[in-house]
Amino acid sequence: MARILDLAPHSAIYAGRLLAEAGHDVVRVEPPGGDAIRRLPPYLGGQPNIELGAYHQFFNAGKRSFTLDAASSEGLAVFRRLAVTADAIIGPLPPALTPDTLHAEQPHLVIAVLINDDIEEICRYARSGMMALTGQPGRVPMLMGGHVLYAATGLWVGVAMASALLTQQLRGVGQILTVDVQQCIEVFNEQAMSTYATTGRRADRRGHRGAITPVSGAFQASDGWWMLSVPNTAERWYRFLEWVQDPVLAANPSYAQEDGREAAKDVILDRIEKWSMSLKMREAVETAQSQGITSTPVQTPLDLVNDPQLTHRGFLQDVAIPNVGTVAAPAGAIASLLGRPASRAPLLGEHTTALLAELGYDGPERLALFERAVV
Amino acid sequence: MSLASASRHRERTAPPLDGVRVLDFTHIVAGPFCTRILADLGAEVLHVETRSRTEGMGVHAGRQERRDARVHRNKKSITLNLKHERGQAIAARLASVADVLVENFSSGVMRRLHLDYESLRPSNPSLIYVSMSGFGHTGPRRDWTSMNMNLQGYSGLMLVTGSEGDPPTSVSNSWNDFIGGLHASFGILQVLMERQANGSGMYLDLSQAECSISTLGPLVLCGAANGENAPRLGNRSTSAAPQGCYPCAGGDEWCVISVQTNEQWTALCQLIGASEFGRDPRFASFTGRLRYHDEIDQKIRSWAVDLPKQEVEARLTAAGIPGERVRHADEVVESDDAGLGFHPLRAPGFEKPDLTALLPFTLSVSQRVPPISPATTGQHTHEALSDWLGLTADAIDDLERAGALV
Repeated sequence: MARILDLAPHSAIYAGRLLAEAGHDVVRVEPPGGDAIRRLPPYLGGQPNIELGAYHQFFNAGKRSFTLDAASSEGLAVFRRLAVTADAIIGPLPPALTPDTLHAEQPHLVIAVLINDDIEEICRYARSGMMALTGQPGRVPMLMGGHVLYAATGLWVGVAMASALLTQQLRGVGQILTVDVQQCIEVFNEQAMSTYATTGRRADRRGHRGAITPVSGAFQASDGWWMLSVPNTAERWYRFLEWVQDPVLAANPSYAQEDGREAAKDVILDRIEKWSMSLKMREAVETAQSQGITSTPVQTPLDLVNDPQLTHRGFLQDVAIPNVGTVAAPAGAIASLLGRPASRAPLLGEHTTALLAELGYDGPERLALFERAVV
Repeated sequence: MSLASASRHRERTAPPLDGVRVLDFTHIVAGPFCTRILADLGAEVLHVETRSRTEGMGVHAGRQERRDARVHRNKKSITLNLKHERGQAIAARLASVADVLVENFSSGVMRRLHLDYESLRPSNPSLIYVSMSGFGHTGPRRDWTSMNMNLQGYSGLMLVTGSEGDPPTSVSNSWNDFIGGLHASFGILQVLMERQANGSGMYLDLSQAECSISTLGPLVLCGAANGENAPRLGNRSTSAAPQGCYPCAGGDEWCVISVQTNEQWTALCQLIGASEFGRDPRFASFTGRLRYHDEIDQKIRSWAVDLPKQEVEARLTAAGIPGERVRHADEVVESDDAGLGFHPLRAPGFEKPDLTALLPFTLSVSQRVPPISPATTGQHTHEALSDWLGLTADAIDDLERAGALV
């Protein structure tokens, strides 16, 4: 288990959470006024509260909180003492300290540095080429909701950190890890870039219709939306026709061929849309799955709270959150994978005293640091 | 420098997963993306393929086989006939000397081939065995099949993205697969660290749905606490106004703008010839601009709609206002950004070089693995059998004659 100091901005904060899920000691070093992410709405309980921002509660779960004014010279001294006890740091480092300086002083340390991060989330997404692929066809391109981009870039930082921690463990080697945050998103656009480079074709955004499998998409039923992907084989197409019983779809012989379906996909999808309006969503999904047709409900975050599969797998676990009560919290994919429990986020400065004591600051010294607003 | 210290030096700077053997039974996107990350970190990834069944994308009669760089680069390829008893036996032997095994077949497939974790563990207790399925191998939905777009819908992404009242909005690429592959890579790296300390392997039953749901964790947690969903914001922000995506001249050409400060707001009003807006007290603060966002959007739209998006972007940048044109893939390919993270790579069956992405990070000590063109199907069959299992040429020929290596 490693100790990791987490000073990450929004674009890397998920990395610390992943490392905490995996059982490492992740110390979130926050300014005395609290992490900026604590002020990102929505809030658990619906009112602004520095402890209850949903993004803080999720991305900082499992971490400890150490408040420090690292920009001051006294604060920097405290940070240096803390860094001596750490195995890794997710930057940016406090202003007066450079990665090279710190690495020279403590060569065992893994230090993560972010570059190309000084761009707004929506601008990053537009620049990457991915935004052109998100949204309804012919209508305005869309930013992914829920700040999913932060999780995506944080995921890359997590993988990078894990690879550096492994190297540190195996070979006793510390190093500086440089993550290009813009590249983290552009990498996901590889398919469209590859298609353009090899064929000159530009990919389109398809919205609620499938981009890859021709007969696929989201459809409105009488009581909600559901998703359908008919595997692109003759056998599955016939089974699908038997279920749909649509004379127009059955009558066209070209649809029996893959390229026939590809060429006519929007016509086929229009017919399915009409048929779907009279169905009940959950029944339709169960019927499709029983026929080997990939199908799922289209869900909202609230729907997931009652999801039977997540509940069975223990992905949702009761966690006591101060000022809220007991909440069914998502344990996280890594905690779920490794069989580790769900956690809550720390209160602001919850662990400052304990960590200062560990670093050897006695009672009067700690008091002085508090009174001077260093911690 | 002596040989001994030279080899220690090589070890010290070797890529993170140097010396790690990965036996790769994955197919389609999520699994191969995970094993590609492992290959990029220096692992020896041996991809198990077969000619006894085409995978849809690879083999076309009469044409050179297409091997796309996204799935196949930096990996070795062995062909094994897993329906043949001796092919299965070889697969099991390879697993007995592997560090990691990754598969993403449907429930029960690996068990029927005697290649499930319980079958392989006795001969390799330190094996890290990763199953990447849509929903996991336990629970009421363990037998559900899944694909990228379905999981985008299942995870909440499609109803969190878009504006209130919009149909579900997907990302039109294999987004969900990448998220699953990345979480799997993280999990594998973590367990490799644990194994270093305690020597034991582990079975990892990864649910790709849980991976994508985790990226929406904040809103799931909020839903659980509040009993309702947060509003769908479209392109708007809870901290910047105006923020949005505005049509520019031409078809399907757009620009995004994100005004973070009052100073940027004043600059924007000047830029778009709306100084009366800049003086209007209704818009002086962020909350005011949020309230009257529709009116402000109309004004911005009427300015941008007749301008080429490159012009809009240039003027915004010159005025210090955060803004970008919405790029299509061709623009990214032709921009400087592409050179940083993307590399052309010759791929069998493609006339033009394929463009491939590398890892978006570098390490100051551990060497970076260069991109290697995809192997052809079965290219490393002989090499792997000799290298991993010590089989002689005769033994390999024998297996070939028996039909175990197709």
